[in-house]
Amino acid sequence: MLRFRYRFRQRNLPSAEGTGSGPAGRISKMRKLVTALIRHERIEGKHPYLDEARGYAERLIDEAVRNGDQHKPTMEIANYWLLEKDLLHKLFKVLVPRYENASTSYTKMWNLPTVYPGGGYHMALLELRNNPWPDVIPQQREVKNNLINVLIKAAKEDHEKNQQLTEHKQSEFTDQSTDTGTTTSQSP
Amino acid sequence: MPHNVIHMNAGRLASRLVRRFCTQAKSLSNSEVTKKRNDLFTKEKARQIANISRLEKIQVQHIGPPEECTLLMNKGLSTPFNCAMHIQELLVTRSVVALVNGQPWDMHKPLVEDCELQFLHFKDEDAKIPNEVLWRTGSYILGYVLENAFKDNFYVELCSFPKPDVRSGSFVYDADLKTQHWQPSPTELNCLSAIGFKLQCYDIKFEPLEVDASVALTMFKSAQIPEIAATSATGNTITVYRMGTHIDITRGPLIASTNLIYRYSVTAIHDIESPDYGPLKRVQGIIMPQQLPIHYWTYEFLSERATKLNPAPVPSLKSKQKLAAENGS
Repeated sequence: MLRFRYRFRQRNLPSAEGTGSGPAGRISKMRKLVTALIRHERIEGKHPYLDEARGYAERLIDEAVRNGDQHKPTMEIANYWLLEKDLLHKLFKVLVPRYENASTSYTKMWNLPTVYPGGGYHMALLELRNNPWPDVIPQQREVKNNLINVLIKAAKEDHEKNQQLTEHKQSEFTDQSTDTGTTTSQSP
Repeated sequence: MPHNVIHMNAGRLASRLVRRFCTQAKSLSNSEVTKKRNDLFTKEKARQIANISRLEKIQVQHIGPPEECTLLMNKGLSTPFNCAMHIQELLVTRSVVALVNGQPWDMHKPLVEDCELQFLHFKDEDAKIPNEVLWRTGSYILGYVLENAFKDNFYVELCSFPKPDVRSGSFVYDADLKTQHWQPSPTELNCLSAIGFKLQCYDIKFEPLEVDASVALTMFKSAQIPEIAATSATGNTITVYRMGTHIDITRGPLIASTNLIYRYSVTAIHDIESPDYGPLKRVQGIIMPQQLPIHYWTYEFLSERATKLNPAPVPSLKSKQKLAAENGS
C-alpha cells in the first residue's frame, strides 16, 4: 500500500540513461536511485526521476515491513532492487524496526528551486522519514517568552481592553441616536 | 597661587570646622549611611569567609551547551561565575542567572553542595526566570538611582519594592523622597535615567550576602526586617546585595553584572499613600538587556506605557506575610 499521492501512469523516461536507453535504462536508473536512497537516506535530483523512484522505494520498504526477512519472495525483491548487498541488512535490521508502527509514508519529498543557468529542470529532494540528518526546514526557536515580546503582548492586550471599553461607550451612544433616528424618520 | 584662592580655601576650612563642632542635631545623609553599610558589609563578608577554615571540594555537574562536564569546585567559595570561567567565555559574558538543582541561583553566590548547574540568558526558549531577575534588578537599581541622584541635604529613605511583574510594563520602587510637592520634569527624569544608564559602562558585580537579622538591623533601620527574616529558609537570615557601594535588601536573585544592561529609564514618579508609611513616591522605570538590542521606536512605545501608575500593592506592615513572601525588599 502506498501512503502518498502517486501518479496514475508511470513515466516512461525514454532517455533515463542516455538517449535511446529505453525501458531497460529506466529500470536501471530506478534501481540506482532506490539503492542510493536506502544508502544515504536523503538524495537530491530531478523531480520526475525521484518521484518515480519514490514509489518503488516505498513498495520495497512496505514489503519488508509486512513480511520480514524470512519471506523468500520479499528477499528476492529486495535482492533485485538493492544493488549493494550490504543494504539488505540495513533494510531488515534498521529500516523495518524504524517503520514498524509508521502510520504515514516512509519517504518524504521536497521541491527544490530550478538551477539557473542549467538544464531548467524541476529539482527535488527525496528522503526517508526519521533519518539521522538535520531537518530540511530547521526548527525555529520559541520567541514568545522573549522580554520584548512579553512587553509588547501585554501592551497590546492593554490597548485592546481600552478599545473595547471605548467601543462599549460609543455603542451606548449610537444606540440612543439610532433610536431617535427611527422615531423621527418613519417611512411613508 | 593668587591670594584670593588661599583666602577662599581658608574660609571653607573654617566653615567646615564650624559645622563639625557647632551643630547639635546632625541630620543623616545618604552618603554617610552608604559608607556605614559598606563597612558593615565588608566586615561581615570577611567574617564569613574566615569561618571557612578547611577547604572542601564539591562536584558540580554542568548541563547544556557548549558541553556537559563535571567540575571540582571549592565548597562555600566557588560561584557559578567561577564555574563558567572554567567552561567558556561566552557563559561568563552572557549568563544572567544560574539554575542550581533547578532553583534560580545568583551568578556570584557561592555553591554549598554537590549540584547540577545550568546557565540562563535572555534568548533562552523559556526566558521567564531571566526576565523576572532583570525586572527585580531594575527595581534594585532604582534604589541606587534615588540614593545617589539628590544632594546630601535630601535624605532619601527607600521603603520597598513589590514582586517583579514584567507584564505590568514597569518596575517599581516605593520611597520617601522627602519632597512632597515635586513633579519631575522630563529633563529631570532623563537625569535620573542617566545615572542608571551609565552603569552599563562598568562591569559592577552584584554580590549577595546572607546576614543575620541582627546584622541587617544595624545596616537598615527598617521595621520590615523581622518580617522578612521570619519567612527566610533558616528563619533568621536576610539576603543583602551590594552593587559597587550601593547595598539593599532583596530576596534575589539579581543579574550577574551591570554591563548586561542596554537601556534604562526612569519613566514616572507617582504619589501614593501607604497606611503605615504615610505618603510615598512610587518611582517607575523600564530596562532592556544588551542581549536584546531593542529599536528606539519600540522602546519609546514601551516607555510611554511604563508611565502609567503601576497597579502593584502599596507597601504596608499589615500585609506582612504577603509582602515578605512575594517581596524583594
